[in-house]
Amino acid sequence: MAAVSQSFKTELLGAIPSLRAFAVSLTQNADKADDLVQETLVKAWDKHESFQPGTNLKAWLFTILRNEFYSQMRKRGREVQDSDGIMTARLAVHPAQHGQLDLKDFRGALEQLPEDQREAIILIGASGFSYEEAAEICGCAVGTIKSRVSRARARLQDILKISGEDEYGPDAISAQVTGSNAA
Amino acid sequence: MKEMSKNSTTGAAGGRRNGSGNPLGPNSEIARKLKQYYDELVSDEVPDRFAQLLSQLEEAEPAEKKD
Repeated sequence: MAAVSQSFKTELLGAIPSLRAFAVSLTQNADKADDLVQETLVKAWDKHESFQPGTNLKAWLFTILRNEFYSQMRKRGREVQDSDGIMTARLAVHPAQHGQLDLKDFRGALEQLPEDQREAIILIGASGFSYEEAAEICGCAVGTIKSRVSRARARLQDILKISGEDEYGPDAISAQVTGSNAA
Repeated sequence: MKEMSKNSTTGAAGGRRNGSGNPLGPNSEIARKLKQYYDELVSDEVPDRFAQLLSQLEEAEPAEKKD
């Protein structure tokens, strides 16, 4: 068994901020997120030989982290997710005006998304992965990622009362945003 | 509505972008907030425990290589 190379270690260290951000996005809890990152690093270390140099280490690590998250969630019977109500209650939704959406409101809205939608929109819209990479990380089809992102976006718009479909310009996905105008 | 001259297509992440930039729409409020939310998390200071963990893992490794 080959030793872990110094460069692998350096890259692991470098990936930690991204891993933590993704972990918080998934768990919505800073402590659980750091535990998850720790597990991920240990796993990555143990199976470093299965990483193919030259491929995307960050994507590889995100895959490990995500798998770890879902397996923990299964073990705990899904209580990982926010004990519902608390976050939702804290979220005072008031109509957002363009450019004035509060980050706290946004965070609250993000918490209300199902995990699969939240992770999809984070991977695509924030972590900088391509649809193909995100699909690989989540072990699903590219089309599935696209539709999750689309639903996540529609849901966020709905929760945050953003009505500006026109903001998105001519892309196919935005056409799916149905005009919901809940009070 | 003119967006600020802030363009986030050059994200820190290594993923390759398709020509349209941010898939959520470069000018969208949600895309911007999502970036802001995430960037804040990424820039959070990393606790020492992680560097310590990697050092421990390194020390635990057998020094000599065999195959």
